[in-house]
Amino acid sequence: MSWQHQESFRTDLTTWEIGPYHGALPAPMRLRLSLDGEIIAACSVETGFLHRGLEKAFELHSWRASISYADHLDPEVAIFGELALCLGVEEIGEIAVPPRAQRIRVILAELSRISAHLVYMVRMARAVGSETIVHYLLRDREKILDLFELLTGARFSFNFLRFGGVSSDVTDGFIERVLEVCEMIRIRMKEYNDLFTFNHAFLMRTSGVAPLLAKQVKQFGITGPNARASGVDFDVRKTHPYMGYDQLEFKIPVGLGEEGMVGDVHDRFVIRLRELSQSMEILKQLSELLPSGEFLNEKIDLEYEVPSGEAYVRVESSRGLLGCHVVSDGGPRPNRIQFRPPTLGNLMAIPSLVEGVRIEDLPVVLASLDLGIAEADR
Amino acid sequence: MSSSPAWVSAWLDAWGISAGLPEWVSASISVAALFLLILVPSATLISYLDRKLSADFQARVGPNRAGPAGLFQPLADLLKLLQKETRREWSWKENLWLIIHTMALYSTLAVIPLGSLALMVDTEMSAFLPFWSALVLALGTMLLGLGQGSVPGWFGGIRVAAQTLAGCFPALIALLCAGMRTGSFRWSVLASSQGFMPWQWTCFSNPFQLIALMVFVMSGLVLLEISPLDGGHSMSDIHGGVASHLYGRRFSLFNFGRFYGFFFWSVITVVLFLGAWNLPYHLVERLKDWGAVRLLGILELLLILTKTFFVMLLVVWVARVSPRSRVDQITDFAWKVLSPFSLVALVGASIWAGWRAFQ
Repeated sequence: MSWQHQESFRTDLTTWEIGPYHGALPAPMRLRLSLDGEIIAACSVETGFLHRGLEKAFELHSWRASISYADHLDPEVAIFGELALCLGVEEIGEIAVPPRAQRIRVILAELSRISAHLVYMVRMARAVGSETIVHYLLRDREKILDLFELLTGARFSFNFLRFGGVSSDVTDGFIERVLEVCEMIRIRMKEYNDLFTFNHAFLMRTSGVAPLLAKQVKQFGITGPNARASGVDFDVRKTHPYMGYDQLEFKIPVGLGEEGMVGDVHDRFVIRLRELSQSMEILKQLSELLPSGEFLNEKIDLEYEVPSGEAYVRVESSRGLLGCHVVSDGGPRPNRIQFRPPTLGNLMAIPSLVEGVRIEDLPVVLASLDLGIAEADR
Repeated sequence: MSSSPAWVSAWLDAWGISAGLPEWVSASISVAALFLLILVPSATLISYLDRKLSADFQARVGPNRAGPAGLFQPLADLLKLLQKETRREWSWKENLWLIIHTMALYSTLAVIPLGSLALMVDTEMSAFLPFWSALVLALGTMLLGLGQGSVPGWFGGIRVAAQTLAGCFPALIALLCAGMRTGSFRWSVLASSQGFMPWQWTCFSNPFQLIALMVFVMSGLVLLEISPLDGGHSMSDIHGGVASHLYGRRFSLFNFGRFYGFFFWSVITVVLFLGAWNLPYHLVERLKDWGAVRLLGILELLLILTKTFFVMLLVVWVARVSPRSRVDQITDFAWKVLSPFSLVALVGASIWAGWRAFQ
């Protein structure tokens, strides 16, 4: 006799759990939301659904194999995991990296940054339901993946860096192709800005939404483009230069809140666009600066053993400061390899960031944080 | 008022079965014929065009496997979706609402204006029936969503209702503007007051009618949740809203219902503002002299379908390149932008009509 039940329509707080798999989420995670109507009143985040025991896996395999595991730290931008690990080992073993190898590494890193920022824009476009720009951006990213394939033989998971250099030299015409792709993306980006970045409907969805305050950046240890969008001028490439970044000229764009507030979703989006053009500047300089010589330190052969010691290094990945703590006991396998992924800070900021945001904006806010859940869950 | 269009009765006569047929039977046959002969082919054609055009916009290939240039893709999709089972049994409440929905939606087939000879019910109230059924649909969708007991259902249902209410007001006012010019809401009168050439169309008769056209199209998108203003159904936080519980057959029927709403809205936009089914005057006279009534009906149908497809593809084009707006932004737009404009159009159109009457 169900029609005799009293129907109730409550207007107090509602709870809603989304995840681990939901269209609103950029990656597997679970959000417990408390909703006041359509406004998020509170939120808690549960992660760990992508835990693979990666740091333990390092300890079970040889030093050489560790590079291919570092690829999987963040499959989207594999190069930064490799780079951090190699820098750590090179610091322990005091291995010199030939200048040519350094440049090749930077080329790969900056191309990865461009590719990652394109994917970031794809996720933002998906979150606001703009399917056309998704296809355009993925089409351009394919060109970068082609370059990766040309240089390393793989489109993802390169396993390309070696302790003391890289595994192979660039082929003839590679640099020219890099510049061609950069030029193509630069030209097209103008068109995309008209279509998307400064589209009125997109601005309505992003400007003034969920601003991240500089105070919160400090509180949660947020780095990378998200921190810079909030006005915190911090970039490892400038503050702790590595791989010869100090010899390159580039600017660190900082959020200005042109379309709303400093550090809002649109600022986080635009800051990545600006970084993209800075990365292209770097690539342009590298094409002129690429020195001749070795691409791998000759002393490092298959029998190389990492001496005992420990090192902590940091690189600027596409998401922020990626730290790597490498400990060696002189044995055939790493004693401990530990990463400090930038996504952790972003994850911790979610509850305070989405408080007071409309539930419809949740996918947009989450996409704007550029969460690399693989590196956070490890 | 005839209960079935001329071509259907002529058809039944030719088969020799019209004599002694009760009126409700011939009316049902007419509705079924309209559905199967016009709506379903239109839906397949427009979905094919939509997918191919979207693919072109998006630097993709689009359907290209089934048939020449992927022409049979809609058919393949339809056959696949009809085979798919639905997993969950529906409660009697949901089934009841399904029946009410279907009746509300397809009762409008009785008033669909697809040519002077294809009109079934041609009364002063015909133009208002679609509004009534859109409101019934919205109410039903809201109750269905609330009954689903899930957050996507609640939000989806309430957002659909909010959007429909917001879109209804400016759409009705814009409809009044068109009716004010002709002095009637009969489809036949609305159509015959216009001509074949664009300057004879209602939308170009005065600037206020042009505003009314714009308002009518956009508020239709709000009213019926058509992309890009389809926030109630398609926001990514509730992925599908009320429809998130639908699979297979029911989902394809649901989608067909949404397509039908879009199609119907475009048809009445064409009839109200864009010259309806009017062929060049001399051609109509010539055809009537020859007694080629059936050919006239077919030509009128082709003309109005072409215009309708054009309107629909224009909307699709805008939808493909725009991000999706939030529901509160959509309702704001409807109440704060479309409604004032519709009132301006109404006042302007009535002053214009009064001034013309004085002259």
